[in-house]
Amino acid sequence: MWNEFILNPFTNVLLFIYNIIGHDFGIAIILFTILIRAVTWPLNAQQLKGAKVMQELQKDKEWLDIQKKYAKDKEKLASEQMRIYKERGINPFASCLPTLVQFPIIIGLYQSITHALAATPLGLLQLARSIYPAFLNSALLIPLNSRFLWMDLGRPEGIPFPAGFSFAFLPFGFPTLAIIVAATTYLQTKLTMPPSTGGGPTDQSAAMNSMMSIYMPLLLGYFALNFASGLAVYFVTSNVLGIVQYASMGRVNWRNLLPGGDKTLPAKKGAKK
Amino acid sequence: MKRFLLISLVLFGAVLLSACSGSANTSSWPGLAADDKMAYLANGSSIYAVRLSDGTKAWTYTGKSGTPLFYADPVLTTDGQLLVGSAGRDYELTSLDIATGQKKWAFVAGDRWVAPPLVVGDTVYAANNDGTLYALKLATGDRLWALPISRDLWGAPVTDGKLIFVSSLDHFLYAVDPLEHTIVWKVNLGGSAPGSPVLNSDGTTLFIGSFAKKIFAVDSATGSVRWTADTKDWIWSAPALGGDSLFAADISGNIYSLGAPNGKNAWPTLQPDGPITGSPLVLSGSTSQAGDSILVATESGSLFAFDATGVKMWEVNVGGQIYTSPVAAGELIVVAPLNTDFLLAAVSKDGKLLWKFTGKEK
Repeated sequence: MWNEFILNPFTNVLLFIYNIIGHDFGIAIILFTILIRAVTWPLNAQQLKGAKVMQELQKDKEWLDIQKKYAKDKEKLASEQMRIYKERGINPFASCLPTLVQFPIIIGLYQSITHALAATPLGLLQLARSIYPAFLNSALLIPLNSRFLWMDLGRPEGIPFPAGFSFAFLPFGFPTLAIIVAATTYLQTKLTMPPSTGGGPTDQSAAMNSMMSIYMPLLLGYFALNFASGLAVYFVTSNVLGIVQYASMGRVNWRNLLPGGDKTLPAKKGAKK
Repeated sequence: MKRFLLISLVLFGAVLLSACSGSANTSSWPGLAADDKMAYLANGSSIYAVRLSDGTKAWTYTGKSGTPLFYADPVLTTDGQLLVGSAGRDYELTSLDIATGQKKWAFVAGDRWVAPPLVVGDTVYAANNDGTLYALKLATGDRLWALPISRDLWGAPVTDGKLIFVSSLDHFLYAVDPLEHTIVWKVNLGGSAPGSPVLNSDGTTLFIGSFAKKIFAVDSATGSVRWTADTKDWIWSAPALGGDSLFAADISGNIYSLGAPNGKNAWPTLQPDGPITGSPLVLSGSTSQAGDSILVATESGSLFAFDATGVKMWEVNVGGQIYTSPVAAGELIVVAPLNTDFLLAAVSKDGKLLWKFTGKEK
């Protein structure tokens, strides 16, 4: 089911792009990521709008009042929150649902890249079977040209250390791409971090965002360090496109990059409003 | 609470992503070899030596925590070594003592090993996924020379005593002069060739199949194509020779018998019960009074035997999915299925399932 509806179509589109651009898998990954981002743009926009509405609601006087008033009566608080949602026509899941819809698409994109970079006989057989014969001539496509810039996209990236230097924890050399992945992930998380509601110690969403800005770069950097560099190319492209998309919607907060910027500035913004 | 949820979400994401990226890319079907007493199975992180007499384990070799991934067919040497390459990140070609399973030496190349090596005298010729043919000293694994050929060398090299022949996924079959360390000729096969060529008895003709849905007969001295024969689908592994007949199978499960001198069909194409990735196994004068019998293992988990005229002699469903070529071992045939609860099975030459080896035996 997953293979028929997600993985195989994604793999075929990826290979179709690879085929028409002259067999460069790195460029194919970048174009494919752009394509997927373009297709999911409306979902992203909807998610951002939903998040913005929810954020504004967090600063609304009536909302803050009921939080205080029914702090000890969770049931009443929930019913009051529902009343406000209803009165103002807000869907509290408007920011979550598009994310849920996008999740299989992101996983499918990710899997199609690893699927196409078949490294073993079984992987190659599975790839061959997933290619639509009417769409692509798999015999001419295989083997894929996995060279891109200085990388072999089927292997973890690393620039070899000078002779005489080696580090057991960096078996593939200096991990340039993993660093770029971690840096762009950090930038994206920071720049797209929604302004704090100014709720002080009780502002849990700010705490969560702050944690995400630490964990996500580390996590994706780890993947880039250990898995095929084709995935790292996808991570970097996806991060850059994410920043571009937020910027085009006027949602990038450059001040978040300044020390303490994510804590102080949004609170001031909230106060002005 | 929310912090806990967030950490759980991140961990879940990590597991999900690592599952996505790891599984399909690094697993494959097992490698198999045998002599008249023991079968040697290369399966993931372990290599097993299994007694043919009763299917019990003689020894197991397991590499450093999950680093090596053994899928290439092991190769037995006359001086008591078992050579097997790793498709893991260690990039090692490992030599084990065949009696004890102890590591003797390891050679690290530039990439994964999918092809089994070729041993000629005291030299090992090993084709790596980095596209290089390495010549190593058999006793120590020391590198003698290396010749970058192309890329993705997945088929075992073969030799006629003068040249080394290596196939590649890059669509070409190469002939290398081991004395000059040069490529003598190359021939375009129209598609990738993950399997090896097979050489006829006088060493004049190579036979090889490719993803171009063709079988080629190639002059071993010059690289000129003597004939080609069409197949219905990709040929994955080396064809097999039995006298003047050439047997090959494709990944749609068709079996072909061709005249080796001219490539003409000897049988109508047979199609047992599933895709075939392994090489056919030709048994000379086994239980068939008529002479050779031809065995093929299918993805459906079955082993089929045909006589030299293409008539089915027997079939047995072993279980799982069989991608690895069946191997003759003394009086037995051993097969290594995938996706089932055992790793190895032995079948008699008249099609009786004798034992199964699970790998969990002490």
